[in-house]
Formats: sequence, C-alpha cells, structure tokens
Amino acid sequence: MSDDVQKTVFAIIAKEAGIDESKVTLDSTLKDLEIPSLDAIQIIFEIEDHFKIQMPDRDPNFDTESVKGLIETVEKLVADKAANPNPPPANPPSA
Amino acid sequence: MSRRVVITGVGAICALGHDARALWQGMREGRSAIAPLTGFENQDMRVKVAAQVRGFDPAAHFDSRKLILLDRVSQFALVAAREAVAQSGIDFAQGDLRQRSACVVGTGTGGEVTNDECSRRMYGEGNPRLHPLSIVRRMMSAPASQVSIEFGITGPSFAVSSACSSANHAFAQAFALVRSGVADVALAGGTEACLTLGVLRAWEAMRVLSDDTCRPFCKQRRGLVLGEGAGMVVLEDFDHARARGADILAEFAGAGMSADAGDIVMPSDIGAARAMTAALRDAQLAPEDIDYINAHGTATPANDPTETRAIHVALGEHARKVAVSSTKSVHGHALGAAGALEIVAAIGALRDGAVPPTANFIDPDPECDLDYVPNAAREMPVRAVLSNAFAFGGLNAVVALKRAA
Repeated sequence: MSDDVQKTVFAIIAKEAGIDESKVTLDSTLKDLEIPSLDAIQIIFEIEDHFKIQMPDRDPNFDTESVKGLIETVEKLVADKAANPNPPPANPPSA
Repeated sequence: MSRRVVITGVGAICALGHDARALWQGMREGRSAIAPLTGFENQDMRVKVAAQVRGFDPAAHFDSRKLILLDRVSQFALVAAREAVAQSGIDFAQGDLRQRSACVVGTGTGGEVTNDECSRRMYGEGNPRLHPLSIVRRMMSAPASQVSIEFGITGPSFAVSSACSSANHAFAQAFALVRSGVADVALAGGTEACLTLGVLRAWEAMRVLSDDTCRPFCKQRRGLVLGEGAGMVVLEDFDHARARGADILAEFAGAGMSADAGDIVMPSDIGAARAMTAALRDAQLAPEDIDYINAHGTATPANDPTETRAIHVALGEHARKVAVSSTKSVHGHALGAAGALEIVAAIGALRDGAVPPTANFIDPDPECDLDYVPNAAREMPVRAVLSNAFAFGGLNAVVALKRAA
C-alpha cells in the first residue's frame, strides 16, 4: 500500500468530515467514524478530484467497508489509469 | 368559510404519454417508461436511464411567437393545464370567474433548459450575449404566469417551490384558496423539465441514481430514476361545480404539511408521519378510511424504510391493511412534478377501483414490511387515498382525496 495514497486519503477524510486525522485508521469504517452520507460523498468527490479518477457509484460501501478498502480501490484506479492513460469513455455512445 | 373542494379536470404529460389517460393506463398496467437516457450521446454520462418525455413536438402545441417565450417546463405545464381545463368544461369567461380563479404551479428546478443554454453560450462559447427572453423563460414563476395568461386567470397566481414536494405544496395552497372562499376555481399542479446536462451532472455527483431501473421498497433497489413532465388539476368549490353540472372526478379532502428541521438530505420518519397525520386530520378522515397510499417511494436506500416507518406511525394498526405503491417505478421521479403525476394515480384508483402496482419489484426488503402491491394492479374499492411527497431539505406535503360522493 502506497504511503502517499494513504496519507492523502487520511487527510481528505479528516478535512471533509471535520475530525482529527489521528482518529482515522486503516481499519476504521466510515460508520465507525460517524461520517454521514453527505460527508461521505464529499470525501469521494475530493478523492476523485485529487487523483483524477472516477470511483464506482456503490463501491466502496460507505457503511461497512474500511478505509483500507477505500485506499485499495483508489490505488487500483490510479494504477489502471497509469497503465492506460487515455481510456475510452466508461459508457461509449454505442453501448 | 370552509367549503368542500372537488377535482373536475386533470391533465398530465410524462414519459408514459402526453395525457392523463395514457399516464393512468401505464400506471395501472405497471408498464415502466424508464429507458436508456438519450440526447447526451457525446457526453460520458454516469447516469444510464431516465423517464424522458418522448415524441413531444412543441410546435404542434404552440405557435412560434408563443413558443419563443416558453422554456420546456412551461410547455409541459400548459399542455397539462389545457387538458385539465378541457375536461372540466369550465368557461373562465363566465361572469367574474377570471377574478374568482387562482393558479398555483409547483416546480423544483424551474427553467433549467434555458439556464443550460445560457451557461453554454457564456462559458462554452465565450459569448456574452444571451437571448433577451432568457429571464422570462427561466424564472421559477414562468409556468404559473403562462398558465394564468393562457386562461385569463386574474385571481391569486404564484409558484411554489419545495424540491420534490413542490406539486403537493401547490395543491395544498390552491386547496386553501378555494376552501376558504378566496377563489371558486384553482388551476394547480407541478411541472419539471430537469433532464439537462447541468442537472444530471449534479444528480450524478450525489450518487443516489439507479443504474438499472426504479425498484421502490424492494431489496434490489439501487436508487432513484429521474423523470420529467407536468400534471395539473382543476380544483373547484363543490357548489360551483354542482351548479354547472360538472363531472366530479374526486373530492380534494385535505392536505398536511411539515418540515423535518433536521438533515438536509436524510429523511425523518417523524416529519413524514406528521404530514400524513395532518392530512388525515385536515380531511377529517380516520386511518381506517384510507384504502390506498401513493407513496413517495423514490427507491433510494434511505427513503423507502423511512417512509415505511412513517406509515406505521401515522396509520397505526391500519398500516398492515392499506395498499401502498410507488408509481415512480413507471414514470420516474419528476421532482417538482412528482405529486402532480401521482395525483393521477390517486384519482384513477378512486374512480376505477384499482390500485396501480409498484412495478419492477423483485424481493421484499425486511425493512419495508407493508403491502406494496408488487407488479400487478389490484382491483378493490378505494374510498380515500393519501398521496405522499417528501423532499430533500425535509419539506413534506401529503394530500388526501376521497371518492366523489
């Protein structure tokens, strides 16, 4: 797991949820951190903006998945983007 | 003064068709008009499906001099209003009826098509010159103004906006005007033309849209599906309607309104229940009198269990017996027009003795434990109906209709 991604995601969660960064751990879920859904979608938005990626709509699950799962998803999307810098649109017009 | 208020005309346009009859038939058959989103083929859209009005040719309804004044949201309102007025047989030119008539139209987003065009010109094309009629097309009150102009209505006329409850709040205001004697007739309803790139992108960002279809109260529900359209009714003082021999479609028995005063997006069962209880009290109905509830039923994870709990609170023991369905499964969520499309379900159920189903239903969700009339309409006598609308921001409005006596 890349330290950079982890550090950035921790910082975004802390900032958007208005909580101390020291409270965020790899094992915490957004539910443990008492982050309401409106804050959760802002966290996703900021992560997408920062890493220039697009997170799937329902993954990670805001309530049950841990911060670790969130970071793994981000890392996978960042790696996919590096491997394929100009992907076709997710839903091409012909679909 | 407290008078009885009846509905003597209804009109609608939405993805299921361009009149109220087509809408009611589609609802009754549980025939979903939700389909792949079209018109945005050059955009990489996350939203996949919508309930779009198709085959609508504005030029078939309005001449070019009129059309230039009309955003799509006003076009829908006028088409629905013309149908409602024609059905009612009312002649506003009689006596002082123009002054004794009101017009209240709800909309959640207003003239978004015009707004989108303005943004594209300014930011996309760097063109600072906007169309000179942009303001009169896009103002939230444009549909109310256009309907009042169309029929020469000179009594109280205004727009109502409360996001997804706009139409029901509009009905409640119009009902109060007629019941109290301020007006003898009111044209009331809701209209929405929200399927623009800007609005769709904003909804995408909220992550509440379904990617398959709308499955209210069902375990496999994946969120809401946006729709568009308008619905309008003619509300009329009972004595006025009887004196002119009008066909009475239903009695508008009462309305209840409340605010959650809580979270901006998460709905409250207590707030929703208070609006339902207020509607029952206003209509002088007991929970046992209600045979059908047209639910808000958006198919979001949050709404459906919350609304289910609210129905338990408001109806008590009777909640287990009442038929509940969400017709958003067939016409989508038309935001400020939602209640105006759904009053067609309430009127249809009362008149035809048939409850329209919750379409697209697969498996029940343990958190939603009511009778949702899955997939097939139910023939049954319907004496009274509640129609629910609960908006983002916690603004709730519920209307109560009774069978015409």
